[in-house]
Amino acid sequence: MNAEHSLSRDERIALQNRKTGITVFQISWIMVFVCLCIVNLQIRSNFPSWPPAGVAALDRILPTIATLALIASGVTTQRGVKGDLVTQWRIALGLGIVFTLIMFAQWVTVDTGGLGAQYGTIFRVMVAYHAVHAVVIGWIMWGVVKKAARGDYADGNPLKTWIIEGAARLWYFVIAAWVLFYIVLYIV
Amino acid sequence: MNLSTRSPGSAGSGISPIWVVAAGLAIIFGGLLIGSFAPAILPPQASAESRQIDALFRFMLAIGGSIFLLVQGMLVYSVIRFRAKPGDASDGAPIHGNTTLEFVWTIIPAIIVTVLALYSVSVWNSTHSIKPNEQTVGAVGARYAWTFNYQLDARALPSGVTLDQLEPNIRAAVENGGLTLSSTQLHTWVNQPVAVSMNTQDVNHAFWIPGMRVKQDLLAGRTTEIRFTPIEAGVYRIVCAELCGSGHGNMAGSVDVNGNLVGAWLIVHESEDAFRSEFFDPLARAALFPPEDPVERGRQILASGVYPCASCHVVDDLGWNGAVGPNLNNVGSRAATRVAGESAEEYLRISIRMPGAYLVPGYNNLMPQFNAEPGQPNYMPDDDLDAIIAYLLTLKTS
Amino acid sequence: MATISVPLIGGRAVEGKRFGISDILRWTVDHKVIGIQYMLTASFFFIVGGALAMLIRWELLTPTLDIMADGQQYNQLFSIHGTVMIFLWIVPMMAGFGNYLLPLMLGAKDMAFPWLNAFAFWLIPPAGILMLMGWFVGQAEAGWTSYPPLSTLYSLDGQTLWAMSLHLLGLSSILGAVNFIVTIKNMRPVGMGYFQMPLFVWAILATSIIILMATPFLAGALTLLILDRVVGTQFFNPAQGGDVLLWQNVFWFYSHPAVYIMVLPAFGILSEVLSVHARKPIFGYRAIALSSLAIALVGFTVWAHHMFTSLTPELRIPFMITSMIIAVPTGIKVFSWLGTLFMGKIRFTSAMLFGLGFLSMFVIGGISGVMLASVPYNIHVHDTYFVVSHLHFVLYGGSVFGIYAGLYHWFPKISGRMLDERLGRLHFIVTYISFFFTFFPQHILGMSGMPRRVAVYAPEYQSLNVVVSIASFILGISTFILIWNVIVSLRAGKRASANPWRALTLEWATSSPPPVTNFIGDPVPYRNPYGYGSESANAYLNALESAYGPSEHPSPDAPKAIKPAPAAGD
Repeated sequence: MNAEHSLSRDERIALQNRKTGITVFQISWIMVFVCLCIVNLQIRSNFPSWPPAGVAALDRILPTIATLALIASGVTTQRGVKGDLVTQWRIALGLGIVFTLIMFAQWVTVDTGGLGAQYGTIFRVMVAYHAVHAVVIGWIMWGVVKKAARGDYADGNPLKTWIIEGAARLWYFVIAAWVLFYIVLYIV
Repeated sequence: MNLSTRSPGSAGSGISPIWVVAAGLAIIFGGLLIGSFAPAILPPQASAESRQIDALFRFMLAIGGSIFLLVQGMLVYSVIRFRAKPGDASDGAPIHGNTTLEFVWTIIPAIIVTVLALYSVSVWNSTHSIKPNEQTVGAVGARYAWTFNYQLDARALPSGVTLDQLEPNIRAAVENGGLTLSSTQLHTWVNQPVAVSMNTQDVNHAFWIPGMRVKQDLLAGRTTEIRFTPIEAGVYRIVCAELCGSGHGNMAGSVDVNGNLVGAWLIVHESEDAFRSEFFDPLARAALFPPEDPVERGRQILASGVYPCASCHVVDDLGWNGAVGPNLNNVGSRAATRVAGESAEEYLRISIRMPGAYLVPGYNNLMPQFNAEPGQPNYMPDDDLDAIIAYLLTLKTS
Repeated sequence: MATISVPLIGGRAVEGKRFGISDILRWTVDHKVIGIQYMLTASFFFIVGGALAMLIRWELLTPTLDIMADGQQYNQLFSIHGTVMIFLWIVPMMAGFGNYLLPLMLGAKDMAFPWLNAFAFWLIPPAGILMLMGWFVGQAEAGWTSYPPLSTLYSLDGQTLWAMSLHLLGLSSILGAVNFIVTIKNMRPVGMGYFQMPLFVWAILATSIIILMATPFLAGALTLLILDRVVGTQFFNPAQGGDVLLWQNVFWFYSHPAVYIMVLPAFGILSEVLSVHARKPIFGYRAIALSSLAIALVGFTVWAHHMFTSLTPELRIPFMITSMIIAVPTGIKVFSWLGTLFMGKIRFTSAMLFGLGFLSMFVIGGISGVMLASVPYNIHVHDTYFVVSHLHFVLYGGSVFGIYAGLYHWFPKISGRMLDERLGRLHFIVTYISFFFTFFPQHILGMSGMPRRVAVYAPEYQSLNVVVSIASFILGISTFILIWNVIVSLRAGKRASANPWRALTLEWATSSPPPVTNFIGDPVPYRNPYGYGSESANAYLNALESAYGPSEHPSPDAPKAIKPAPAAGD
């Protein structure tokens, strides 16, 4: 907090703007995920059963493990923000990779032909759309980890260390969006 | 520079209550007057639904007219009364609001829309409800024509015709309820509730009869329904109201230069007897007793208007003079030479089953596809197709 | 009232760097240049869309095909006319006003994220080019609403470009909205709470909230459309279990709120213009501000009234009720504006004329809107010229008249030159009358049976169509009066002082055009942006005049009475 007091008024506003900006953008962007959930629900409402008769339901066990890994990565991310960033975020990224690989495996194996056309393709669209976010934001986090390992944030300048909080909040967004998808894809 | 010398009320307080009441009455009567124009704008009322809907519209137009007069009146009054006179550089009265007034103009519109909503709900409930003894017709929309299908079962045989008189295969079709009569026009009679069950062959369309005030989209992959009860005999244009592609505008009923109705029309007969004798029985007889000679039968089919060919093509023998598609006079000799290795008969068959396959240079792919399977839109049985081709091959240059 | 406290006014900054023409063509992060870039780009597309409209009206002079080779060509025209006018004219034009004015009205140096601001703008020109390029590969022909399966299985490749273009425009719009909201939340000057903000800022806030929550749905719908067209998914193909209503639901969940994205900023402009030129405080400030939010919120619950002829019949009534509720906050606004005029001292500047024109024409669109909300009546006029008329009364009589009013009002601030008032009045009269005769008869056409989106129609509708077409040609020409006015005034117009209209909002408390940093120091706004008619407001405005030169609207005080402004109260 002391570091923030050393900033000029303009710098304080700029910092505040970034924090507000990320929140506002997240509120907006989560709506795309909500939209895809609604699309999923409307498509399935046209079928008497879901998955449609004759189509194998998605396996739930591995995705549940993946989801738990992703949630765990959120915990380590938060620990990293408060304490040992480099170690904790490396663990978080590792968990993120586990999540992505499991989902990629299911993405590849899901049935999208014939009867499963709708069931499989909407699953693929949702998972791929989420994966794009996970990969890009994970990449940003990795950049932060590299810089932190070099000691770039040692001086505690809030204008620099802000990226830590920013990247963490984007990763929480990835987790929240996935929980939404997990509920729609596997539970409802 | 003392602004308070100008009393804030001086500009507005000169209005006497009598003028306010007079203006209020003028606005209300003005609205009623505007509302009375409704019948002049809408098409003549031809269905039971149109009476209720027009009354609703007239009510809304009267209220809307009053609001229009109120707002424009206030606007014009303010513009004239409160314009800055030359040389007057002072500001207006520093009034920031008036809670009572603001409350009033929140509540009154809220009451008005509540009334409108309740009235609309009651009209809607009565117009779209299922009626007893409906005549059910199937409608198929395709780019860019309508087909209406009437069930021909044992109870609907023309008078004097018994099942015993029919050929065995036709009799079997009638007894199984598998024989439908198709027409490009929708026929019914006065005071007969109609329920049209609609499907589309390709994109979304919308079935609209302005005279009946009813409209419903045809949705790809779904069956939708529309109901109305005509109350006036006459002919009413059927219009496609949902963009369906390049021929969208041509999908409405039209009139050719000889005054014949072409394409999609609703024809309301005076009575059920008239409906049967003028439309249903001749169509049924033609289906039940097909002429032996295919050329004669083909001519009969085309002349009946079952297929909407007349709207686009020229055939002098039948008095057709459509301008959209190729001229069919002497089509036989041209069809024989169009595609190498294909006879005139084969060329015409493909041109009707798959119109996009061969396009005559200078013409676009606008013709609907006529399908061979019952239940498909634009169903044209093979028998009909053979007869039509046989007839077309006989056409001569005029 | 012996001593009048005049708030601190932004220092006089006539010296310092100014932007030139060349800056407009370059990447720059200054919000004023970006605002101008938005406006010029949007105006270019206004002319493109207008030219398409002229071709449409020419074709409709007769009931048969004349200048078009076939219906497909005509369908391409109105599809691109609609899309361009909505997504490349009104939306970016409003973003231009917002960009230019928001930091000035808030006494800020720039937007919260200047770089992002520039990025959002530079998405628009490529998107526009992408859309127009459709003509080389078979332009989109399914209308601006692009219902599948027409837009998926039966359209040419331009439809894909159309969708990609809208994707870019949607992203631009979201980034812009994030910027607006953060700027409004964090960068208000000392002493300006939310309820001291100018109403234009309120309107931009409400608009940005809608963009934020609704535009992602457009992105979702377009993603599915592109996948169906390019990758081969079958979301909209009923033969494969897809659903054509899926598109309609998701598309309208964005596109109905989009109507408010287009019209709310115009409401904001109108609130500024009416109050300033009637020399009277806005009537019911809070009601106007909060009704914008109410419209934004209720606007999310009404989308299916665009689907009254395709929606399941049981669901139609609930959407009718929510749609009708919208009339209440809109009515509050209209009556508040009338209350603002009442007992004012109305100056008939061109800006005010367009403001009054807005009010009188928008009311017609509002009334026909309530009629359209009523399901039984809607069934009859759905997809007819009645709807065409209604939407143009709202979007031309509302949004475009609002844009015109805003241009006449803020052009002096933007350019440092006054627009020619005589040409302005001529522009108003020609536009107002030709507008009315272009769109009013379309109500009658629709009710009597003419569907929209047709190149050929029944002969009995020809006479009214000729009236409409001729009026529309005059309306088209009237635009060039404004363009001519802008060109002439930029070259030789009267120099504008800082505050030509004696307005109280902060953008007028700096030179015209403003310097690069907008203000010297941190300006303190006058405590009430609409405090006209009070002694302290007069003293504030006189102080501005003595600092920056005289206004167009004369001061109520004799010139001798102007004393140097005392320093701020503290």
